Amino acid sequence: MGYVLSLLIIVPLLGSAATFVISSVGAGRKSASYVAAAFAAATLLVAGYAFWSVYSHTPALGSYALVEDHPWITLPGFGVDVMLGLDGLSAPLVLASGIVTVLSVLSSRTLIDREEPAYYALVLLALASMMGAFTSLNLVVFYLFWELTLVPMFFLIGVWGGDRRSYAALKFIIFTFAGSSVMLLGFLVLYFGLSPSTFDIPALASMGVPVGLQYLPLLAVFVGCAVELPVFPFHSWQPDAYEQAPAPVNSLLSGILPKFAGYAVIRVALGLFPQAAYQYAWAFIALAVFSMFYGAVVALLQSDLKRMFAYTSISHMGFVLFGAFATVLSGNPLGIEGAILLMFTHALATSSIFTVSGFVEKRSGTRKIPLLGGMGQRLPLMAALLAVASSAEMGIPPFASFLAELMVISGGISAYAWTAVTVLVPVITGGYFLWMLKRVVIDPHPAAADPGSAAEDISMADATVVALYLVPLVLLSVFSFLILSPAAPVAQWTANLVHGGLHA
Amino acid sequence: MADYILFAVVALSAAALGVPFLQYVGKRGNLPGYLVVVALLVALASTVLNAASDSTSSTAFGTLLVSDSLGNLFAILTLFVTLFVAVASLTLVPPGRSSNSPFYYSLLSFASLGMLLISYSADLLMLFVAWELMSIPTYALAGFRKDSEESNEAAVKYAVLGALSSAIILYAISLTYGLTGTTGIAAAVASLGSQLSDPVAGLAVLLFVVGFGFKMSIVPFHMWAPDAYEGAPTPIAALFAAGTKKAGFVAAIRVVLAISTVYSLTPQGGLFTIPNVLAVLALATMTLGNLAALTQKSMTRLLAYSSIAQAGYMLIGFVIYSYGQGNPAFAQQAELGMTGALFHIVNHSVMKGAAFLGAGLVILKLGSGSVEAFDGLGRRMPVTAFALALSFLALAGVPPLSGFWSKLLLFTSVLNTPYAWLAVAGVLNSALSMGYYGWVIKRMYLDEPGGETTRIMEPTSFVLVLGVLAALIVSFGLFPGAVISFARSAVPALSGQ
Repeated sequence: MGYVLSLLIIVPLLGSAATFVISSVGAGRKSASYVAAAFAAATLLVAGYAFWSVYSHTPALGSYALVEDHPWITLPGFGVDVMLGLDGLSAPLVLASGIVTVLSVLSSRTLIDREEPAYYALVLLALASMMGAFTSLNLVVFYLFWELTLVPMFFLIGVWGGDRRSYAALKFIIFTFAGSSVMLLGFLVLYFGLSPSTFDIPALASMGVPVGLQYLPLLAVFVGCAVELPVFPFHSWQPDAYEQAPAPVNSLLSGILPKFAGYAVIRVALGLFPQAAYQYAWAFIALAVFSMFYGAVVALLQSDLKRMFAYTSISHMGFVLFGAFATVLSGNPLGIEGAILLMFTHALATSSIFTVSGFVEKRSGTRKIPLLGGMGQRLPLMAALLAVASSAEMGIPPFASFLAELMVISGGISAYAWTAVTVLVPVITGGYFLWMLKRVVIDPHPAAADPGSAAEDISMADATVVALYLVPLVLLSVFSFLILSPAAPVAQWTANLVHGGLHA
Repeated sequence: MADYILFAVVALSAAALGVPFLQYVGKRGNLPGYLVVVALLVALASTVLNAASDSTSSTAFGTLLVSDSLGNLFAILTLFVTLFVAVASLTLVPPGRSSNSPFYYSLLSFASLGMLLISYSADLLMLFVAWELMSIPTYALAGFRKDSEESNEAAVKYAVLGALSSAIILYAISLTYGLTGTTGIAAAVASLGSQLSDPVAGLAVLLFVVGFGFKMSIVPFHMWAPDAYEGAPTPIAALFAAGTKKAGFVAAIRVVLAISTVYSLTPQGGLFTIPNVLAVLALATMTLGNLAALTQKSMTRLLAYSSIAQAGYMLIGFVIYSYGQGNPAFAQQAELGMTGALFHIVNHSVMKGAAFLGAGLVILKLGSGSVEAFDGLGRRMPVTAFALALSFLALAGVPPLSGFWSKLLLFTSVLNTPYAWLAVAGVLNSALSMGYYGWVIKRMYLDEPGGETTRIMEPTSFVLVLGVLAALIVSFGLFPGAVISFARSAVPALSGQ
């Protein structure tokens, strides 16, 4: 039995404790970021190794690499195993979590300036539970790590966030806790409907869930995911939470957390309940497409940078849902492949833009678009980063986000031709991002008399952190096979569940 | 082995009877408290030995007591609860010439003895005597803050309603004796079960539910609880939530849930059955408890309502267990549900113990029990705030803490039975409860302290108690296996198995 995936969880967990102890007892609170960065980097190395294992020996259709199985609770009538495994769906997300956390820790060195020991300990705790959620192949353990992630996020938003942090944090935890509780209920219904009953995803997938038992769990899992992604109309917590969270926490909150839901949609909702998903795919696709437009149009109206990015995120997460269900309906694996690539690129792109917004706020004292302006002259490096990160977010070549959106939309068209209208979403997104850039970078500063010459441009170290988010995106547009080739079997397998390989 | 139980009884009796004489010792300090702690440790050790020594059940004192796993579970639990209440009282009930502390600790020992005997009771009369032995000292303890109007009111309300419930139990016992001609629980219950078509037998069962339900503080017999919890010294509130409440549960398990065969309370069968009645009570209890907790401004009242809500979750296990008594097809779910209920009872004692004692310390140090007093507590009293936050998360059922597993077992046990709606209600209630647990955590960690911001000294003995409880919350969550199997071994066999 391997131990690589256990390490993915244990290393950051140990790191969390070590960071807190070392920095609060001996070395002083400034040391916390170094210790945390070291542990996050170690986790990234393990994640890189795990990703490489999946890439180099892509598991066959419907199977997993690096599988571990530790029995945890065994009762007659109730059993839970800690079963871990990795495939082309989870491996990119594990890698993305590693990259985003390392860079988030690095950007925190400038953006977080109080109670560092607890802050970095919580970030690593969140990393451990994220890794657990993406690697676990047991429904209860998956739920457990999902929930466990919410607790550090609650504190990270609530203690280190903006003016209305406390309200936003409470709203965040109540919404997401309620959503995931419903999801758990779905898992339980599934468990007790089956005989022999199990929570292990591979076993469930191979035995096939009877169609009659698919509807309720599908609905329950969807509700949990719809809150987490979020999808209209379950999104009301999200703009508040994203706006109030400190920028480095946004990287985790918007970069990784919604991917739990994207992952669960593909792995659980489609993987275990394919027939029910097929039957109601029209409804989910309609909701996803609406959410894509809704997010984009509402983002257009925002005057706060972070709120704008938050609504953009709603729009992008709609793509994930759209691509996933399009594949189920049409049998064309392109939708899921695109969704997986999009989850990876969105993790990095959205993290980069939120991080930039953090630096903008730090240097200019505001995130309000009307109060910014003239950044191109005052803070040229910052303006350049904002423009580049925006391009990644808009999905302009050479960033791989472009490819991902293209794949999802093409996959969608093979389900319903009318969904071709979704090509308008990137157009709207591009439009409001360019409008924002015009107002922030090109237009003169509103207090034109003295365009804030005191403001200091972003430091090279911080600029490097932002650049490091963006470099993989550029590379991926060339080397997209790194993600897509392990993703293909997963997409194909999911498509085959309903369509029996017609489009293989 | 009866010897161990006898030893525990002697240790507690000696402490209860001996400690009051310390009133005549001038500079006694916390001596009464220490003596009672020692007696509780001895009693706890002997019940643990009793549990370890013999796995088969045997009777003692003629047929008055039975030493079985169920008894062991509750005896250990209630002694453990009294122990941490006593240790916390060393800080929270400061000794002094006027504080009557020898009587405080003596009453605590009596109550503990009562709970111990309830756990092992095998005879209705023994049960009743033990019930009174537990209840009467707690009436006095609830009013222990003599100069506080609140405390007096709480004690009176609690004592009057308590006496009423005792009378109801006694009435139920007399009806049972009249119908069955015996007071031995096993024989009486078996005979009662076969006569349930007789309305009088149904009445007896209902009266037992009402009488025990009072101590279990299930809706609608919960009215005393918030007032008593708020008025009593906080360690006594912890004793109510973590101790005497659980004694109500074991009594209900021994008497009400053991009733088997024909479980309908009316001659025609139909809707009015024991599991149906319990299911309605469970739903009402958890929903009302949670809704009321959402609106509370006082911490002890909030905890009191949360405690009521938690009793609702425990009742889910009772529902499915009593349903399993009548339907062998659901035996496995029944066993699972009861395991979950017992596990949740243990967890709840630990979680609520931590919550009440933590809150008690805050009230002592800040002089205010309002929720606003908890603002910014994370910086002022880090250990207490951490223990409180941990216990709240566990109470809400956040994994991987202890409360998550027991709730999971409870909710899963009713799926695929006619009571599946209870699982839905339970999950929705858990989400609802996050509203107030999260709200308090938010106040402690996210909000700024209102007035002073200085660090407050947390007494070592207290840090120790909270540390032990917090460690139990985490370790029961990470390694639930051992506790679950102990709880499972304590599940009484279903009839006909």
